[in-house]
Amino acid sequence: MSKKSFVQLFLAILILLTVSIISIGIGRYPISIEDIFKIIFNVEVDTTTRMVFFGLRLPRIIMAIIAGIGLSMAGSVYQTIFKNPLATPDIIGVSSGANLGAAVAIIYLSGGTRTIAVAAFVGGIIAVFTAIGLTRLSNYGGISTFVLAGIVIGSITEGLIMMMKFFADPEKQLAAMEFWAMGSFAGITEDKVISIIPYFIIGIATLILLRWQINILSLNDDEGKSLGIPVEMIRFVVIIAATLVVASIVSVTGLIAFIGLIAPHIGRMITKRNDFYTTIFSGLIGGIILVIADCLARSLSSSEIPISILTTFIGAPFLAYLMSRQR
Amino acid sequence: MRELGGFIMNILKRSILIILAIVMTLSIVGCTTKPEIETPENLEPVEEPENEVVEEPKFEPIVITDHLGREVTIEERPERIVSGYYITSSMLIALGLEDNVVGIEAKANSRPIYSLAAPQLLDLPNVGTAKEFNLEGCIALEPDLVILPIKLKDSVKSLEDLGIKVIAVNPEDMDLLKETIIMIGKATDNEDKANELIAYYDEKISEINKVIDVDNKKKVYLGGNSDFLSTATGKMYQNYMIETAGAINVASEIDDTYWATISYEQLLNYNPDVIIIVPEADYTKEDILNDEKLAPLTAVQNGEIYEMPESFEAWDSPVPSGILGTMWLTSILNEENYSFDTFKEDVADFYNVFYNFSVDKELITK
Repeated sequence: MSKKSFVQLFLAILILLTVSIISIGIGRYPISIEDIFKIIFNVEVDTTTRMVFFGLRLPRIIMAIIAGIGLSMAGSVYQTIFKNPLATPDIIGVSSGANLGAAVAIIYLSGGTRTIAVAAFVGGIIAVFTAIGLTRLSNYGGISTFVLAGIVIGSITEGLIMMMKFFADPEKQLAAMEFWAMGSFAGITEDKVISIIPYFIIGIATLILLRWQINILSLNDDEGKSLGIPVEMIRFVVIIAATLVVASIVSVTGLIAFIGLIAPHIGRMITKRNDFYTTIFSGLIGGIILVIADCLARSLSSSEIPISILTTFIGAPFLAYLMSRQR
Repeated sequence: MRELGGFIMNILKRSILIILAIVMTLSIVGCTTKPEIETPENLEPVEEPENEVVEEPKFEPIVITDHLGREVTIEERPERIVSGYYITSSMLIALGLEDNVVGIEAKANSRPIYSLAAPQLLDLPNVGTAKEFNLEGCIALEPDLVILPIKLKDSVKSLEDLGIKVIAVNPEDMDLLKETIIMIGKATDNEDKANELIAYYDEKISEINKVIDVDNKKKVYLGGNSDFLSTATGKMYQNYMIETAGAINVASEIDDTYWATISYEQLLNYNPDVIIIVPEADYTKEDILNDEKLAPLTAVQNGEIYEMPESFEAWDSPVPSGILGTMWLTSILNEENYSFDTFKEDVADFYNVFYNFSVDKELITK
């Protein structure tokens, strides 16, 4: 790793830590800086304050970091292996599947948050496996088949969701479905974070272990094969790993728009490279954006603002700014 | 002979085919048009003489200004009414007009009040929802009066252009609900019954005012339908209900006009004395009691969590029996001055007088 890259990475981590620490002090339940120091140095403090800090505030920030890193890295990896700068984690249907799962839970299972999370996770995984199954129908196993299968799955789930929206009770279920599709960290508690961490770690670790093969996948399939890489096998494993990460995250937060597309672009524009180092750097950028966005989502008003609104309004102008600086 | 026989058979077969074709065409035409033409004709002569015999005084034409600011002139007493809104459908029962209703909103079977008070409404054709109004279906019912929510103003215009009388209503709070009741009472020549209903509201509100403890207001949190982290804001009917019952809505500072989502932290910060769960919520009292994140709340520690009954109407919304929701909350907050048993009596009386059915008091829970 070059010295410049090292400095960039170090700076990104530093900024992520700084925004996280600042946002620890911000929230609807009043926790003073004094209280935070007391908690850190293990001095006796009000039990509710302690519970809010460890059970709600900290898990929420950790979840924002996890979601930012996970969605952005998955987006970056997909953009690499699908050789398409517009690829997002949803390209083969994981988010639409999760959305469908959540909708089913809201309408037919009269879902509490836990039911919705499980249904969304299962929905995301099923959608991706169905898409992979569809690619097997085609003789040509290239990436465009995956993209097409993703479009098919995306359209079918979209159709089913529209149908359910039509039959949904407009006052209750429809609103719940719409809000789920805009994402929020409002309901995050420590158990939710703990429950998804294993999937997140397995997925991200797999991606990191396969970093070299992922770079090869960005080349022509034939070139990869001539280098002795089992191209289709690796692509399959990478997709499963990324799906695990994305499905587990959105199952507890709802859909988070734009971050998986924009963070990798910002990452690439800053590093001016396109390799796995950029993928990690993009993950940190995603983490920074989501921590800031969530901090605003919970503090701008007494009611929670859906996170997708903020990721869009923070991410898009930043991307436009970086575009304007590129020649 | 055989040839002649074959020839005749041939002609016979062909004519049978032709006759069959004619019969089928006729029956298809008959199927599509007959009921539309015949049902109204069949129904009207049966109903009209009855009504005319009972109600002697002549109907005076009346001009009504609806909630879209439109002036509607009703020249004759409406005999065939379509209601595209559950609040007005229930209102028509309360005004004793259930036999004049010929079409109601979709998903009527999800509202228990119909099967309790006027099960015949469930067999009526539906005219769709506020999202997807079935304009043609509504016209086919040949209504004299259509009542729609103001959301459907495009359909209101279309019906008006066809010469059908339409009233658009927006019963979003207590005052608008009263206005709606008066409007429909006037339009259907039922003003006495409408005034009776409003007098009941006014009487109960003044009784509530005597019962509540103004100096010691409790803090109430109202958990919304999909999640206990969604709540009623200061601009909603539910806020009015809580305030009328002599309490403070902890989320009244939020000025969204729709259910707002809040965080656990915000709920802990509000720290309500009492938590109310709306009817037909997706979660139960136990879910709140078992959520360890909510354990510090005063309401949880004192077990002051109540589920609004869901066997009648959505008492937390401006439906004609919505006043009972306010009375229910008043009783819960001021049990010593207005006991729950008295409240149950009041519910039984209300439905007996206005909806004409006797209530199973076991269903009135808290």
